[in-house]
Amino acid sequence: MKRNLVIVLLATLLVASLSAFAMAEQITLRYFMWDPEFQQMEAELIRGFEAENPNIKVEMTALDPTNFWPRLAAMAAAGELPDVFSMSTGYIDTWARDGLLLNIQHLVDRDLNLDDYFYNVFAEDRFPNKDTSDMYAIPYAWVGSVLFYNKDMFDAAGLEYPNDDWTWDDFQNAAIALTIQSNPNRAPEQYGFWWYGRYSHVEPWVYANGGRILNENKTRIAIDDKAKEALQFLSDLTNVHGVSMAHRDMAGMRQQDLFPLQQAAMWVDGSWMIDHVRTVAGDSFRWGIAHVPKGPSLEPGEERSYYWPDSVGIAATTKHEDEAWAFVKYLIGANRPVETYMPGKVPIYKDIAYSEEWLQQDQQPGNMELILELGETPVRTTFNMGWSEWRGYASTGGAGMNGELDAVTNGQQTVEQAIENITRDGNAVLERYYPEP
Amino acid sequence: MRYGKVAPWLFITPTILGLVFFRIGPIIAAFLASFTSWNVFSPPQWIGTSNYVELFNSGTFWMILRNTLVFSLMYVMGVMVCGLFLAILVNNRLRAITFFRGLYYLPVITSTVAIGVVWSWILSPRFGVLPNVLADLGVHNIPSFLGDSRYALLTLVMVYIWKMSGYHMILFLAGLQNIPEEYYEAAKIDGATRWQSLRHITLPLLSSTTFFIGIIALIQSLQSFDITMAMTEGGPNYASATLSFFTYINAFVHFRMGYASAMSFVLLIIVGVITFINFYARKYWVETVD
Repeated sequence: MKRNLVIVLLATLLVASLSAFAMAEQITLRYFMWDPEFQQMEAELIRGFEAENPNIKVEMTALDPTNFWPRLAAMAAAGELPDVFSMSTGYIDTWARDGLLLNIQHLVDRDLNLDDYFYNVFAEDRFPNKDTSDMYAIPYAWVGSVLFYNKDMFDAAGLEYPNDDWTWDDFQNAAIALTIQSNPNRAPEQYGFWWYGRYSHVEPWVYANGGRILNENKTRIAIDDKAKEALQFLSDLTNVHGVSMAHRDMAGMRQQDLFPLQQAAMWVDGSWMIDHVRTVAGDSFRWGIAHVPKGPSLEPGEERSYYWPDSVGIAATTKHEDEAWAFVKYLIGANRPVETYMPGKVPIYKDIAYSEEWLQQDQQPGNMELILELGETPVRTTFNMGWSEWRGYASTGGAGMNGELDAVTNGQQTVEQAIENITRDGNAVLERYYPEP
Repeated sequence: MRYGKVAPWLFITPTILGLVFFRIGPIIAAFLASFTSWNVFSPPQWIGTSNYVELFNSGTFWMILRNTLVFSLMYVMGVMVCGLFLAILVNNRLRAITFFRGLYYLPVITSTVAIGVVWSWILSPRFGVLPNVLADLGVHNIPSFLGDSRYALLTLVMVYIWKMSGYHMILFLAGLQNIPEEYYEAAKIDGATRWQSLRHITLPLLSSTTFFIGIIALIQSLQSFDITMAMTEGGPNYASATLSFFTYINAFVHFRMGYASAMSFVLLIIVGVITFINFYARKYWVETVD
């Protein structure tokens, strides 16, 4: 009897210790993402990861960007950051500087075959130097700037569609021909083009002319002559040729609705707007995308594309670095279903990006491979610490450089005055983030 | 039944705790934070009065302070005049009067975002009802009410007044119904006109209500945020931003908690000074039925 009791006790102990061991091996990763629209698909992706990694469980929280950043900031303040989270190009420098993100360069070097990815896009996740420093996040998708154009309007005006040989003069002439105003006392019924001070409307033109808005190390506003030429070109489109609406006249509307509602024949914005145009326009007209025309002052070797990534980062405080990295690799790699990418957002993993499922050549615009060409060229952006403040973004979209350029479109100031204000106010912001040594 | 010395304290302890932890504590913390550089995710750094120095040297801050004062002045006067007008209008015994009272009160309980979106549509220069009707009537060069920096603040004030007049109507109505009917009857016998009754009976006897509404409206005006966010986001280029909006932007968009705290204390001082003046001046103009 006594012997049986000992055996039962020993067996129980063995089972208990094995269970405890198994429990100890089970790791839970917390993952925060900013796109609730894709929550369900992301959940499927996670289930796939968990099936391959039975010892890792992922708890996902999806918040829209308005709530995502304040929540994440509060968690960072409390030292409670999730293990893995979405990271924006606009914030990565500040977060890396403040030691909140894990330096993942050694993991990237160790595990990734860089030829499989749009490697140029990785640059925006480096800190402090975008060319040479280590990575603090890694892209899962990226977007580039393209010229949207309304094929029906071009056909009605008897114009050739935009092509890679287009000059700014060609663009301007087309925009003039596409502007229709039957009553001189009223605004044009149809504008040839639409732009205002927004980063994705302005920077593509500056870079297409070989210009710079920031200095070489991106610590101060230093708008050069080529950038100034681009800004003057845009200003003239509105104020001299009347082919683009003044910013004040689009109050009460969403800027992204002008093109799909056929109020403007051309528009430069990020490629993720492809999804929006499809949704709003449906099949009401035929449209396409083209490269932003090269500027008159662009010199050979100066070609820079404007694109930027959506990334994922790992918290510096994570206790599960290996597991978090395994999950991140899964998020950015071949396993990710193409449906989890909003049309126009390019998968960082090339095989998916070049797949028929992503290119969707049976749907408008039908030439999405054009976006992929951008990712193979070097990048230039204005993202740095304080970017949202000096550039004017999201809730402050009417302020900063945005606001100054909007005032140009309203005819309230010249490009020279705008540049003076942008430089003075922008550098006041940047001096806080990049103090003089 | 006798209460000991402890019992009253037991009853007010929850209130005191709430006050200390949820009011006074955060106020003290914000005051201390106003002397720091603090972006939320890093520990705050003591920088003395730098935030206040930066604030008073900032052209944007002075512009926003001016916007705030203009907004407050127009809002307070607007809701008081409109609220009183509506209250007088609905202070009668017509059969359907409760329907009209409800109707005028409706904007108060309507979702702010819905109001912002609908008014933006009405005023939109390209598709809006108002500019298009005006254009059809032959009016040209119609300004952009929300997109032009000269009109954006004024337009916002109008929408805020439209939304909140019903609230102040209710308060004025309560005040009006406290005025004894006999006063009006006596005045009528003496041959007073309607205007004279309003001027010499209604307004003096409403002065305590007016005083209360003035304070409430002033506080509301200094907290203006939601419609601004929904309609203009403070733009163009901060032309329609007020201090509370600018404080939010610095705290929760730029994560400059120290700077935003300094701003909120400037706002606190402004509210304090105006309220003090109002209370001091009260004895010179507030009358009661007694």
